[in-house]
Amino acid sequence: MTGTILLQQIINGISLGSLYGLVAIGYTMVYGILRLINFAHGDLLMFAAYAAIFGSAIFGLPWYLSFPLAIIITGILGILLDRAAYKPLREAPRISLLISAIGASFLLENLAVVFIGGVPKGFDRPAVFDHVIEFMGLRIQVLTVYTPLVTIVLLLGLLYIVYRTKVGKAMRAASKDFETTRLMGINLDRIIAITFLLGSSLAAAGGIMWAMKYPQVNPFMGVIPGLKAFIAAVLGGIGNIVGAVVGGFLLGLGEIIIVALVPELAQYRDAVAFVILIVVLLFRPTGIMGEPIIDKT
Amino acid sequence: MVTFFKLDRLVMQFGGLTAVSDFSLELHPGELVGLIGPNGAGKTTVFNLIVGFLTPTSGQVFWLGEDVTGLPPQHITARGIARTFQNIRLFTDMTVLENVMVSLHHKMRAHFWQAMLGLPQYRREDRRIHEEAMGFLQELGLAHLAEEKASSLPYGQQRRLEIARALATHPRLLLLDEPAAGMNPQETQELAGLIRSLRSKYDLTVFLIEHDMKFVMGLCERIKVLDYGVTIAEGTPQQIQCNPEVIKAYLGEPKPAGGTETCSK
Amino acid sequence: MDRENRNVILNTLSILILLGVLFLFHRYGSLYQIRILNNMAIFITLAVSYNLVNGICGQLHLGPNAFITIGAYTAALLTMAPAKKQMLFIIQPLIWPFTVVHAPFLLAILAGGVAATVFAFLISFPVFRVRGDYLAIVTLGFGEVVRVLCNAWQSLTNGPLGLKDLEPYTNLWWSWGVAVFTIVAITKLINSSYGRAMKAIREDEVAAKAMGIDPFRHLLLAFLVSAFFSGVAGALLAHLITTISPTLFTFIFTFNLLSIIVIGGLGSTSGAVIGAVLFAWGGEALRVVESQIDLGFVKIPGIPGMRMVIFSILLMVVIIFARRGIMGRNEFSWDWLLAKMRRGQKG
Repeated sequence: MTGTILLQQIINGISLGSLYGLVAIGYTMVYGILRLINFAHGDLLMFAAYAAIFGSAIFGLPWYLSFPLAIIITGILGILLDRAAYKPLREAPRISLLISAIGASFLLENLAVVFIGGVPKGFDRPAVFDHVIEFMGLRIQVLTVYTPLVTIVLLLGLLYIVYRTKVGKAMRAASKDFETTRLMGINLDRIIAITFLLGSSLAAAGGIMWAMKYPQVNPFMGVIPGLKAFIAAVLGGIGNIVGAVVGGFLLGLGEIIIVALVPELAQYRDAVAFVILIVVLLFRPTGIMGEPIIDKT
Repeated sequence: MVTFFKLDRLVMQFGGLTAVSDFSLELHPGELVGLIGPNGAGKTTVFNLIVGFLTPTSGQVFWLGEDVTGLPPQHITARGIARTFQNIRLFTDMTVLENVMVSLHHKMRAHFWQAMLGLPQYRREDRRIHEEAMGFLQELGLAHLAEEKASSLPYGQQRRLEIARALATHPRLLLLDEPAAGMNPQETQELAGLIRSLRSKYDLTVFLIEHDMKFVMGLCERIKVLDYGVTIAEGTPQQIQCNPEVIKAYLGEPKPAGGTETCSK
Repeated sequence: MDRENRNVILNTLSILILLGVLFLFHRYGSLYQIRILNNMAIFITLAVSYNLVNGICGQLHLGPNAFITIGAYTAALLTMAPAKKQMLFIIQPLIWPFTVVHAPFLLAILAGGVAATVFAFLISFPVFRVRGDYLAIVTLGFGEVVRVLCNAWQSLTNGPLGLKDLEPYTNLWWSWGVAVFTIVAITKLINSSYGRAMKAIREDEVAAKAMGIDPFRHLLLAFLVSAFFSGVAGALLAHLITTISPTLFTFIFTFNLLSIIVIGGLGSTSGAVIGAVLFAWGGEALRVVESQIDLGFVKIPGIPGMRMVIFSILLMVVIIFARRGIMGRNEFSWDWLLAKMRRGQKG
């Protein structure tokens, strides 16, 4: 395999990885505060893609309006998801929360089937994202380059919010010690809602870029990417925002490079992420950027 | 000679905070030793270090000649050290009898498939566990509550059940974490008597944490005092009572001369 | 007579009645009814064993579909005649020794269970060593991996083409025989000291460890037992539907099982049985929602996907508002039934 092809695959891997990272952020933020794996998070990807389609197809909006709108609507859906499925179970045992999350995920997927139909739809990629650039002997889709750039910008924006605003401070406090933060009179419900809003919006951005990259949209399109994004979050250290993006990059790169090096493994592609999860759990369960566990209680 | 029980310079650090520093202790078979100190002094942390819920930053735990530092809790229990919890952690959805039977499980000699097929080897073991568990309940005066849900017991009985099930693990060393918490003076008296009789009947060594001074002074043969993770005194109840460091730790300043009549100047 | 003897007599009586009912359906029942009864029995087997991990141990295991698939494929590869296998594997020839193996049904079922157990053992080490939360994702992922493997490993599974024309060995005797055995064996396990240890882990893992219980050993035990019965059920299912493919046992299957035990009552074997019965019976009834309803004066078009929407909503409503489900953690007992009957007589 030549150097240029390797370089091409690396760029592909980073691009794919940034999508995983965007979605992983939402998982990691919600897990950090609520200790909950939001199974329905991956489906928000799907919801955003469909929302964008509807924006253009039904309301005739240009992409620079329908995309942000879809992101905002998905963010709001995230808040509603928490209100309906998770808030009533704040005091319930963990397993109940997880079950509710699974139920919510299935509900979203099948509502999409009912209202939109199970037949995959095409996603109109706006022309501005549709051309190919050439440099250093490589031909790359411009979208492949935009994706990681957008991800980094969004990540920086989020980090600003989390580390430089009062709201962010409250989020970090809630993530470290839920009970104490509540006792300090901080409106936890608001913090949680904002967490879901931010995480879901990022997932929505990821979903739209995903739909542009793989322009076939169907109600179950968020399942596998969601699963992989969660694995990325674990890989990077669950609860750690930067870790989620780092984990995403590593997972995307790993997936692409492994298949590029060993083409026979192409059909086992999806299983690669799972193997990585097992390895992480075996050797460094707190992830790359997490702290080792010392307390066994 | 085989070391019975020894804690050798245990240190526990959480990030920047030192919860326990340089804690050493030796116990001899049959002793009744107490650990006291103001709230947050690190007493329960010491217990957690002994039974393996925490791994010390440095230092060692020796039990019956073996270095058991950092072994998981279930292995420590299997080796004969049992503990009760400061805030009772009974299995609330199970009956009183079942709570005690759980403690006897680690000595179960029949296999799971013998249980699934209802084979006689299992049935015998199950009967044995039933009988032994009832025995422990009787010992602690709880036999009449055997079929009640653990959560329905009044507080005092729950504390007894905590002790019963720790006892049922067949320990040689029993760690009691604030066993008298929330008890009135009469109950506390009964508890002291109970601990003494259990110690002699089951050949136990007892190491306990308590806040109730009268209880500790009246019961323990030797006392260690902890403050901010540091051992500030060790000795007989007499010696501890008169120790100015101890008094300072508890009251914040040395007591005026009048209150310590029994202490020598 | 004392309680234990009375229970043994009542239990035996019930089984005899069950045998009678099965015989009647076997002789005179319609194909449709027999299919539902077979489904019911297989779902009972699956739900009761699934409840062992999720309900008794309190761990969220999302991969039973993987073990069902493994059991199905293993059994199918063993019961198929070598000649048929040769015909079927057109893309890539089947690997040895499956080319020559030809086993009777009972052996195939057991092999299905064992194969599933082996796989369960292999993945359980990383998962249970760390944190039970990740069990959910890892088991879910494992289901995906099994699907990928079945699709890709064509020299073993015939890939996307799947295995067709299996002998319909599964009849009411096999399916209900297995179901009854499963209920008995797992109930005995739950009521044993091992079951108490598992419940203790569910109640308070920290306290359980302090009492000498090794959580890993017991969670592993539950997981392996559950996998075994899932594999057996998969084998039965394969020889009921007579065609299996990689996409047959998806996460939707797991979701249905989860709904069954939650609605029946997480932690109750009786609840799992009730849930399975309701599902096999009602699930069929609900199909009507997806096909056209002809009320005579108006035709309501069927809505595909509506069935799953209803299930999802049902699951969420139960877990949010009626967490204990139908039975809670209680079990059916003869004491309870007789007491109810006596009260009925007095009133």
